[in-house]
Amino acid sequence: MATVTFDKATRIYPGSTKPAVDSLDLKIEDGEFLVLVGPSGCGKSTSLRMLAGLEDINAGRVFIGARDVTPVPPKDRDIAMVFQSYALYPHMTVADNMGFALKIAGVPKSEIRQRVMEAAKILDLTQYLDRKPKALSGGQRQRVAMGRAIVRKPQVFLMDEPLSNLDAKLRVSTRTQIASLQRRLGVTTVYVTHDQIEAMTMGDRVAVLQDGLLMQVGTPRYLYEHPDNVFVAGFMGSPAMNLLDMSIVDGGVLLGDIVWPVDRSILAKTTGSKITVGMRPEDLEMAEHGIAVQVDLVEELGADAYIYGRLVGTDVPIIARADGRRPPHKGSTVHLRPKPEHVHLFDTASGLRLGA
Amino acid sequence: MDDGALTDRPPTGPSPDSVPDPSAGSQSQLGSRSLPWSGRRRRRRRRSDPAAVPAFVLAVAVAALTLVPVIYVVLGGFTSTAQLAEDPVGMPDPWMTGNYGSVLSSARFWRQLGNSLLIALLATGLVVAVGSLAAFAVSRYVFRGRELVYTVFTLGLLFPVGVAILPLYLMLRELHLLDNPLGVAVPQAAFSIPVTIVVLRPFMAAVPNELEDAAAIDGCSGFAFFWRILLPLSRPALTTVSVLAFVTSWNAYLLPLLVLNDEQQHTLPLGTAMFSTQYTQDTARVLAFTALSMVPALVFFVLAERRIVGGLTGAVKG
Repeated sequence: MATVTFDKATRIYPGSTKPAVDSLDLKIEDGEFLVLVGPSGCGKSTSLRMLAGLEDINAGRVFIGARDVTPVPPKDRDIAMVFQSYALYPHMTVADNMGFALKIAGVPKSEIRQRVMEAAKILDLTQYLDRKPKALSGGQRQRVAMGRAIVRKPQVFLMDEPLSNLDAKLRVSTRTQIASLQRRLGVTTVYVTHDQIEAMTMGDRVAVLQDGLLMQVGTPRYLYEHPDNVFVAGFMGSPAMNLLDMSIVDGGVLLGDIVWPVDRSILAKTTGSKITVGMRPEDLEMAEHGIAVQVDLVEELGADAYIYGRLVGTDVPIIARADGRRPPHKGSTVHLRPKPEHVHLFDTASGLRLGA
Repeated sequence: MDDGALTDRPPTGPSPDSVPDPSAGSQSQLGSRSLPWSGRRRRRRRRSDPAAVPAFVLAVAVAALTLVPVIYVVLGGFTSTAQLAEDPVGMPDPWMTGNYGSVLSSARFWRQLGNSLLIALLATGLVVAVGSLAAFAVSRYVFRGRELVYTVFTLGLLFPVGVAILPLYLMLRELHLLDNPLGVAVPQAAFSIPVTIVVLRPFMAAVPNELEDAAAIDGCSGFAFFWRILLPLSRPALTTVSVLAFVTSWNAYLLPLLVLNDEQQHTLPLGTAMFSTQYTQDTARVLAFTALSMVPALVFFVLAERRIVGGLTGAVKG
């Protein structure tokens, strides 16, 4: 058990001038499940590989516990990693795969066998111990990869998109299994994914990265309710938050034919004539007045319906949730207004959050 | 430059095996074009495919070309020279085992077999050890001049033994390796390195990087990864290069001829040549000796044939 600390850790790939990870500052608590999330190429996997020791650190440092592991090779960092492709050794049985690290470390055979059995019981793999990875299903292979990590009893688990090779249904069930396993073992875990639903459901805290920069860290709920910038606002949540550039008028923001009151101190922080208004689809409701929307498509999900439309007279798309029993008709025009307390305001130029 | 007849023979092994491949290819193409029909129906369709006919005829012709001399030699060993003179293409009548018997009971044959075996095993062991390490370096590490190194190795494929034979002889004499099995085995290993690296490199390069990362985290870096992960995974390719090196060494004539002057050290190809000059008149006995001398290499090849094809075509799936 240990904390993990990134201290201005930077990685610049050879032949590139732009850092893949740019002075990452991040502290992960002991026993915490931290999810690194972001679109592909954002540096989340690179960050994880820096922590694993598979990637050089060009500047800054990485700590596991109080120990500076920056110059330490992967094998001496006391970590275990689960790979996207599982990276099981094809020529070894499941038991040998799981016990390989211990064998290299010179642990006595009887102890290896005992620890492999323990892990196999936890993961329901006991009947497959003599099989080769080739003879296993995707879900079983994934569990073997988990088992290989568990057997080592490491300080930190590193997981690099461990679910993305599973089919959708298995992914959901494995998601909860991994999360509950981690809570049970209490091992500090860093988990990389591009899927914001995985991030929301699994992490104690979520770190959102973009272009090598850490955009925001926080609990899933906090990120959802207080995104620091338009990127986090648009990335977390599905369907995504509507981000509309609206005109500033005296006393507030013009939302269609109503003026949404905004505190003067907030408006004073932005210089332009527009302000970016963020509204989640579920925070929009149909009303007499508000933003006029041309309905292009209505997706009925039973309890809810989602309206996909455009602001009247423009091509700006907007998504809103409506009552599943009384959805508007396709082709009609409706007026939408946000629920109070659920409007996010961002500076249009910088993309940063304004106000609380 | 090597003696024609002897070196040509054991490589006849692959040709009959590899020739049916074109037809097999067209069959599988057909198979993939068709929906999952029943096996019987697919087979009927395959047989009537006119495109397969020329390939089939060609396959039979090549197989015949390579097999007939071998069969002739083996059958000839069961005749007497008188029979051969009377009817060179007839079946043995009566079948005589005397020629084979006398060869098999001669100490000379077994001694030469042992010499051949020793040299071939030494050469194979050396080339596998050295070649796999070299292939490991050029396949898994990125370094300046890597492609140049690889090119130099592949150029070795074009370098005939005959060209090097004189300087090689002088060098071996300096090193006091004449009349020494190592004097044959070491140069043979060197000449087998290019093909070893050419076969092994793509195989090793195909091992996924994540496997190397996993191994690094599990505690093996560098050589441990090579030894515990890469080598076991490359076993099909290792079999291929071993067989190639073994058979090449087994059939070598020129190098042993120059290096091994002591008759006690002679290998089977040298022995066969000596034997045929010694018993020029007794053709049947020469045929019997020749037939027996190629048996070990053929057996080795037949046992490993399936793995060889796998080693040339297969790669590792992570």
